[in-house]
Amino acid sequence: MFFKNFKYTFKALLRNRGLVFWTIAFPLIMALFFKMAFSGIEEKETFDAINVAVVSNEYFENDGILKDVFRTLSDPENEDQVFNTSYVEEGEAKELLQDGKIDGYVVFSENAPKVFVTKNGVNQTIFKFVVEEIVQSSDTADIIQAKVEKMFKEQNSGGFWNTLGMIFAMMQENRSNIKDISDANLSYMTIEFYTLVAMACLYGGILGAVSISWCLANMTNVGKRLSLTPVSKIKLVLSSALAGYVIQLFGIVLLLILTIGVLKVDFGNKIPQIVILSVAGSMAGLTMGIAVTTGIKASENAKTGILIGVTMLWCFFAGMMGVVMKYVIDKNIPIINKINPANMITDGFYALYYYDTLDRYMTNIVGLCIFSAIMLAIAIFSLRKQKYESL
Amino acid sequence: MIIYKTFFKVLNKCKFPVILYTVLLLFFAGFNMSSNDKSMDFTAEKPEIMVINHDKEEGLTKNFIEYLKQNTVIKDINNDEESIKDALFYRDVQYIIYIPENFGEKFLDGKNPQIEVKSTSDYLSTLANMIVERYMKVAKNYVGSTSDNEELFSKINETLGKKAEVEVTSKMDTSTISRLTRYFNFSAYSFIAISIYVICTIMLKFNEDKIAKRTAIGSIDYKKINLKLLIANSGFCFAIWGIYFIFARILIGEIAFSEYGLYYALNSLIFVLSTVTLAFLVSKFVKNKNTITAFVNIIGLGSSFLCGVFVPMEFIPDFVLKIAHVLPAYWFVSNNELIGSTEVFAGEFFKNFCINGAVVLGFALVFFIATNIVSKKKVEK
Repeated sequence: MFFKNFKYTFKALLRNRGLVFWTIAFPLIMALFFKMAFSGIEEKETFDAINVAVVSNEYFENDGILKDVFRTLSDPENEDQVFNTSYVEEGEAKELLQDGKIDGYVVFSENAPKVFVTKNGVNQTIFKFVVEEIVQSSDTADIIQAKVEKMFKEQNSGGFWNTLGMIFAMMQENRSNIKDISDANLSYMTIEFYTLVAMACLYGGILGAVSISWCLANMTNVGKRLSLTPVSKIKLVLSSALAGYVIQLFGIVLLLILTIGVLKVDFGNKIPQIVILSVAGSMAGLTMGIAVTTGIKASENAKTGILIGVTMLWCFFAGMMGVVMKYVIDKNIPIINKINPANMITDGFYALYYYDTLDRYMTNIVGLCIFSAIMLAIAIFSLRKQKYESL
Repeated sequence: MIIYKTFFKVLNKCKFPVILYTVLLLFFAGFNMSSNDKSMDFTAEKPEIMVINHDKEEGLTKNFIEYLKQNTVIKDINNDEESIKDALFYRDVQYIIYIPENFGEKFLDGKNPQIEVKSTSDYLSTLANMIVERYMKVAKNYVGSTSDNEELFSKINETLGKKAEVEVTSKMDTSTISRLTRYFNFSAYSFIAISIYVICTIMLKFNEDKIAKRTAIGSIDYKKINLKLLIANSGFCFAIWGIYFIFARILIGEIAFSEYGLYYALNSLIFVLSTVTLAFLVSKFVKNKNTITAFVNIIGLGSSFLCGVFVPMEFIPDFVLKIAHVLPAYWFVSNNELIGSTEVFAGEFFKNFCINGAVVLGFALVFFIATNIVSKKKVEK
């Protein structure tokens, strides 16, 4: 009877096109949309040379140092290139700025240089900052000159090459000693895809909810007939739930193949852990679906509505509609995300991707198991109470 | 009258989704914006950073941190590895500086102590890096020039305090205008979702086999029924357009009633025309309520993700934008961006505005013709 019920439930679930759309096709379509919309964001946020102009007036043309500075800062061969500089007349610079082709232009003169921009912004701030640096360096030029002269005097006995070596050493020393120890894997847009898998895991709960409601006498006619049969209720419920779970896992596998294999979203390289997390997440979704369908007395539509609504709310807190939301909740009201299965799944993937250790990942797996156990306990408690004098 | 009565009865059942999509618009486009900065003076952007200081906060280290405080926003985050890693990943800070032990002392001794940093490699973190480098460079030049530390610090600060003059040439209130652009861009999603949901639900009810047969034998001419339904549905969508415009005035301010507001309103009016005709076309293919939500999500979310409704167009890859050309929302958003970036409404602006608008109208016409062809085929069947 177990396999018979499993087989029929499995077939019936697959024939329900609406159900298959929402639990399997919808997350796949969303993954494609996410990839199309989000893939360019981080690339455009990474620093790239800023378009600016310098007004090539007489003052600028006669100042060799200024020209050199801008040439170095705008050299595409230079690793630290900051600007793409156009050298133009003031009228043309104005036009370029008006058309949005440059972020700003600068006019050098005997007085302080003047920067022209159309609005506030990071590019404009960087431009202003570099121009200021040029002004400030004229201040320190005297100091450097004094230092070099002093060196000449002290090292005069050592000869020309020795002095040159000292100057070179001083210039080296003057380079800032900053070491970048940034972590790899800083792509925050991956969180969007993790929340999508979380959504798919929890949406899978609808499959469980529908399959179980076919066993319930107060929900469907099939349920009434089934409860008259001499088959044990636990067998019916388990086989129905398993049918839902298998389809749910199939959907998750498809989603992971699409996101990792085709769309090349970075989930880290710990494949076994990714699979375990997906299985545990789907279990949380399934048990939640069963708990809702057995524990709440409402129509099937209302139960599905509750499942979708709750899932979307949890995904919202987990960062689906804006990655920052997850961080804000984690930081300020952590309790919400500690009991939020969508966040446990998302955070589990995040931990696999970004952290070297598995502690945080394990905390999420344990959290999902506890969540599933509580949901299952609610379901068993509700089912045990159901006795009918007449149907 | 009976048609309108039934229309409102069914419409009443759609109130929840209508409210939902409106709330989404108000939430994401209305409130989710940075504060309104009307200042016409230049305000420098400040990167958000974190300073983990292992040195005593005195002498040069103190002066360095003071300088950072003036030029960046130093965030107070728990000093444990997990919080720090999370803060950088979620861009709560763009730059983290680890100041080593005895940094100040070593620096003043003329050594070159190493500072470790973590950064997100974006524009703000590049600026933060420049700020740190600048301090180091200037301070290094002055080290050794005097034996009095206080004099040294004041020399450093004096040099670092030299500013360039900045002039903001545009007189546009860019911050408010970009809020308005964002609001109207997001409204595309609400317009598409509401038009399709409401029109399909109503047409589904009227086209139900039993009801359609009953109205067919009734005394009212079917052409009259169709005309009334067209008026009622379109009227409803245009009413939503009007309400959204009033919301724009309430949320974003008087600029909604300026020349800018006029063009945004005109642009969205044309867009609503295309969503209404699209919704009528979709209603011909809808068989039950489930398919309506599927259409709403695929067309609504699809248009929004691809055309720059949710994510600004500048961030969307070129190939996606090329695909998006086949959707009316792309031309609608393009026009919004055009209005938002225009300072003087003249020649070039009118030309581009009319081209984009005409394409949206063209879509409306295509949807209208397609709807008629599909209906005709259905009647023939």
